[in-house]
Amino acid sequence: MNPLVSISIGLREIAAHKFRTALSMLGIVLGVSSLIATMALTRGIEDGTRIFMQQMGGLELVSIVNKEPSSRKFEFANLSPGRTLRDAEAIRRSATFISHVSPEISLATAVATDGGGNPDRRMVRGVYPDHFVIAMHQIAAGRFLTPLDLERGARCAVVGETVAKNLWPGIPPPLIVGKSILIDNRPFEVVGVLPLYEMEEQARARRSGRSISRRWDPFRQKNETVLVPFTTMFHELRSGAFPLDSLETMKLETLTVRVGDLDHFRPALDQVRRILDITHRGVDDFDLETRQDWFDRMESSVRAARLSGGLISAISLIVGGIGIMNIMLASISERVREIGIRLAVGARQRDIFWQILIESMLVSLLGGLLGIVASLGLIEILKSIAPAENVPVLTWDAIVFAVGFAIVAGLVSGLYPAAKASGIDPITALRYE
Amino acid sequence: MSLIHLEGLSKVYRVGDQEIRALDEVNLRIEEGEFIAIIGSSGSGKSTLMHLLGCLDTPTAGRMEICGNDLAKPSNDQLACVRNREIGFVFQAFNLLPKLDVVSNIALPLIYAGVPSRERLARARQAASDVGLGDRLANRPPQLSGGQCQRVAIARALVNNPRTLFADEPTGNLDSATGRMILEMFDALHASGKTVVLVTHDPAIAARSRRVIEICDGRITREYAP
Repeated sequence: MNPLVSISIGLREIAAHKFRTALSMLGIVLGVSSLIATMALTRGIEDGTRIFMQQMGGLELVSIVNKEPSSRKFEFANLSPGRTLRDAEAIRRSATFISHVSPEISLATAVATDGGGNPDRRMVRGVYPDHFVIAMHQIAAGRFLTPLDLERGARCAVVGETVAKNLWPGIPPPLIVGKSILIDNRPFEVVGVLPLYEMEEQARARRSGRSISRRWDPFRQKNETVLVPFTTMFHELRSGAFPLDSLETMKLETLTVRVGDLDHFRPALDQVRRILDITHRGVDDFDLETRQDWFDRMESSVRAARLSGGLISAISLIVGGIGIMNIMLASISERVREIGIRLAVGARQRDIFWQILIESMLVSLLGGLLGIVASLGLIEILKSIAPAENVPVLTWDAIVFAVGFAIVAGLVSGLYPAAKASGIDPITALRYE
Repeated sequence: MSLIHLEGLSKVYRVGDQEIRALDEVNLRIEEGEFIAIIGSSGSGKSTLMHLLGCLDTPTAGRMEICGNDLAKPSNDQLACVRNREIGFVFQAFNLLPKLDVVSNIALPLIYAGVPSRERLARARQAASDVGLGDRLANRPPQLSGGQCQRVAIARALVNNPRTLFADEPTGNLDSATGRMILEMFDALHASGKTVVLVTHDPAIAARSRRVIEICDGRITREYAP
């Protein structure tokens, strides 16, 4: 028997019982729409994460972080000087695949003022010129810190946009360059001003004059920073607090390197690891953290979110399938006589089987299509709730996957009713009133 | 060779511990082109015989050959195939699908014969006009009279051009005038060469046939020409 005929018979049957069919579809509609919405939501989070990662620095960046040394080497742990400027110098000289090295120390307690009564407590950081590349800075006015500043321990500073605006409200960046800033009561010359870093979303909102909703801002740290030469930071600001440290032995807060060419990423990591093995005297108290690691970590949390959302949707699809099975069973007992007539004129058992199965799949397919429509509405609602960086993204594969799942639910839930219908005895069916 | 050949055919139903022999070693030959009436009272076994002949049921024991198909131990598909191609059914209660119009009802057997839809429609229309319902194609059974319904059923039984027509009390739900008209159609079909098997409890109707088979308690008790 032609499947098209089964489909048209099924459609007629559905049309004859619209309300009943709609009720039985409800579970499938909910399942499909929530499945699509979940997938759109997690996809949005993924996209947002990816954009954030790109804006925070590319995959070339590798952080060298502290780690608890393994128990085998625990007794020698204090032989290691930890992460120091020596590491940075050694990597700069010997690691040929590394293009930039940025060691960093900071002073969170520093108070910067414009010399008048305008104090602003900001994170003051001592950095190398390479920081410009590693932190993906741009310059709005003036210049960044130079190797000469570093060598001389010059009292110069580059300030972030938020700092500049707080200390000198209304003054444009070019006029801020050359002004002096007091950091812990020591005068520094502002040599450069950083631009305002923001997400595209925020920039658009600002330009169109809309109020920017207060959200977590990934660029806040960059905008509120005050950068001074590493050496200046050590000699002028830090040494008082840590008199026993020397420039060479002082522990770094962060040490970030940039791989010159992503094609040589693994060799570059090996180089760094080998160099640090020497400078740390064989103590494995460090670890290399790539941005890929960060990404993987975020990925796995996205996966967890997707899994739990998918599970809920799957349960509702199963419930929907049970609903369809219920309706199909009711429909069969209503149509015993019809089945008997069809058998009498020559329908084979498998024709009846397929007819019921196709009908059940049609119901679930229809439910799936309605589910797509419902998911569009659901996603609109989610769009207004979800953070702007993580706008839900509807994808074709989500739709195909959800509707496929719905059809499978219809198929599975149609099997039993179909088997039951095809087992009906024609004589009994013809006598059935 | 006979069109239908039954030898020692039995059908036994089991109800609890009780064994009911609905048919008991029936032997019967029906040649092509015969007009036969099977007559018997209620519970005589004539319906069981009809169901076996119509391939709606399988025998418990004995040989059964219909149109050259050995149906002693038939598969369900084999039975469906014979019902579809070799047999046309006319029932007392018409057994039309109330949701379908006249054409679709008549075309029903052709769906299961795998006939393409255009040809299906053409043949169903032809069959409808053969029984005089060419102008009621789009009506549905509830909108038709009993006689018209039975004519639709006859058209449906004939649409796949079977050799044998089974009619189970075809006039039972009709008034006598309409019933006579339906019986005249069977006469005409017999005249055109179809084998007609009529099941009835009414001797007057059986008298229209050429050969009457009387059944009582599951056995053929008498055979005569009216």
